[in-house]
Amino acid sequence: MKNIILLFFCFFTVVVIITPVSAITAEEIINQRDKNEYLEAARVESEMLIVNGNRKMSKTMESFIEGNNALSHFTNPRDRGTKFLKRGDDLWMFFPDAEDIVKISGHMLNQGMMGSDFSYQDMMESDKLTDLYNFELIGEEELHGRQCYVLEGIAKENKEVSYYRRRSWIDKERFIGLKEELYAQSGRLLKIMNVNRVEQIDDRWYPIESVMENKLRKNTSTDFIIKSIEFNPGIPAGTFSLENMQ
Amino acid sequence: MFLTKLAFKNLVRHRNRTLITALIIAFAIFFFILMDSLIGGMTEMSYENIIEYEASHLQVVSHEYREEEDELPLKNLLTVDEQLIGVVKRVAGYQASLAELNFQARLNDGINELPVIGKGVNPDKLLDVFELQDKFVEGSIFSSGEYKAVMGKRLADLLKLKQGDYITLLVKDKNETFNTIDVEISGLLHTGNPKVNSSIVYLPLNIAQQALNVDNQVSKLIVRLENKDLAEISGHLLAENLKTLDNNLEVILWGDLEAVSVAGAKQMGNQMILAIILLIAAIAIINTVILAALERMKEIGMMKAMGLQRKEIIYTFVLESTGIGMLGGLIGLLLGGIGVWIFSKYGIDWGAMIGMDMSAFGMPIIGKMYGVWNLGTFLLVFGFGVFVSLLSSILPAYWAASKDPVEAIYHQ
Repeated sequence: MKNIILLFFCFFTVVVIITPVSAITAEEIINQRDKNEYLEAARVESEMLIVNGNRKMSKTMESFIEGNNALSHFTNPRDRGTKFLKRGDDLWMFFPDAEDIVKISGHMLNQGMMGSDFSYQDMMESDKLTDLYNFELIGEEELHGRQCYVLEGIAKENKEVSYYRRRSWIDKERFIGLKEELYAQSGRLLKIMNVNRVEQIDDRWYPIESVMENKLRKNTSTDFIIKSIEFNPGIPAGTFSLENMQ
Repeated sequence: MFLTKLAFKNLVRHRNRTLITALIIAFAIFFFILMDSLIGGMTEMSYENIIEYEASHLQVVSHEYREEEDELPLKNLLTVDEQLIGVVKRVAGYQASLAELNFQARLNDGINELPVIGKGVNPDKLLDVFELQDKFVEGSIFSSGEYKAVMGKRLADLLKLKQGDYITLLVKDKNETFNTIDVEISGLLHTGNPKVNSSIVYLPLNIAQQALNVDNQVSKLIVRLENKDLAEISGHLLAENLKTLDNNLEVILWGDLEAVSVAGAKQMGNQMILAIILLIAAIAIINTVILAALERMKEIGMMKAMGLQRKEIIYTFVLESTGIGMLGGLIGLLLGGIGVWIFSKYGIDWGAMIGMDMSAFGMPIIGKMYGVWNLGTFLLVFGFGVFVSLLSSILPAYWAASKDPVEAIYHQ
């Protein structure tokens, strides 16, 4: 799911505000992280493991990403042929059974995508977080045995953002996001994403296994696992067209 | 005159046949009147359900909001100030008004999540405008500023919630940013409106406004009048008066609402079914009249042999048949009138008859359903019965009258 990949880099794309207590600024941290995680173009094979109570589902997909566009098609038997196309701020789905393209809009964007803990809206947010949030370096912590910078971003006024506040843990040495907490304006924690495994691919560190948890619901989580990733592949023209969805 | 008298005498002479044929027509008319009354009653009940629990008589909204109302947007809202209230209060038949903030929300109980419609309201005004006071099956309404909510019993049952439980409403504010509203359920409602029962959550207006970042704005101002018949005149007057205040404000009458159009469309569908019933009744009448004419073939031969012309025979038969139609029509009207009187006075309790709550099926029926009087239907169906009887007698009479007298007399 290419959009999830987009989401990943969004999670860690952070605006800079200089913190007087640190030699490195929030902006520098984010820029370093972006070098690792921002995708100009990519082809990704991935798997989503959705856990909802006792129910477990596995969905595999192949995704193409280029700039603000992304196309994913599911390859697991149950969802084979289902496609998602994101172009800019618009999102379409294609269901082979219905043989119809459906545009996802309005409040439907808040729902979990394919039953996962990622909402359609999560997938849509491909803007740089530095444009949407004022970030601040609020400290340093050890996480999963790694030393991390902790950054907190508050939504800029009158910007359309899903999460009012987000807190990110970024590896001090490798400059990769290891955890993110997403909050509502009321202060309520909505989601937590943990990165469980990172790998060095083509001289850049990249998150390979992550878990998203919806904190408003009990016993649900979605693992996102990258099976293979190819940076800057040749993506054929017309890949991100509606015609290509059918 | 002789032929007219003959036709009348024939009616009396063959009174059993006359009566049986007339009863068939009467039954068709009776059934139609009864069905029309019940369908009319159901439509009326749908309208009442929309007015009493959902929309009331008039709504004031901004023009742009109306265009996107289905999405429950948080833009193009209106501010209800003293001036606006003053203009609204001066409208003829004004009883009460309610400022309402509508928004999309996801109702979360910690395990499941359901999409619902949130309504921020002033609790006192809510009960003034809508007939909800007696519809609480658990608890009661909240007070302004209390972190409490009221929802339909059906919605609560779906999530296994009860009074005193806490819920979280996940909403998106004016800037599309997630926010949450944590509230305690203060009361559960069970109304005649399936939408209120299964998809609406009411909460204090100021809490909703704060969570949605809309300052003191609301989606619409709902106005209750003394009765719904005033809506047309008062609505247009209000619209005129509002123009002096804000050219962007629009008045929606209850009859212009989409839900009412849907109920109206349903009634149209029902009328189609009634038309089919009427057609079947017409076929039954035609059949009876044709058989009656064929049965009297011998009589027709005799009349011809005695020197009556073809057109005189047809005239006699058509007149006789029309007489049967009128008699049947009158009996049908009488029976229909009695039936409608019973249904309109005592009603019919479908729930008790089939032992379940019809509202669960989207049928807006709780308690009894009553029939309505529709004099237009009485006149229409009587005329139809007479006309069909008249028309259906022409062909067999013509056919019989064209026969050779001897052939007709010996016709078996």
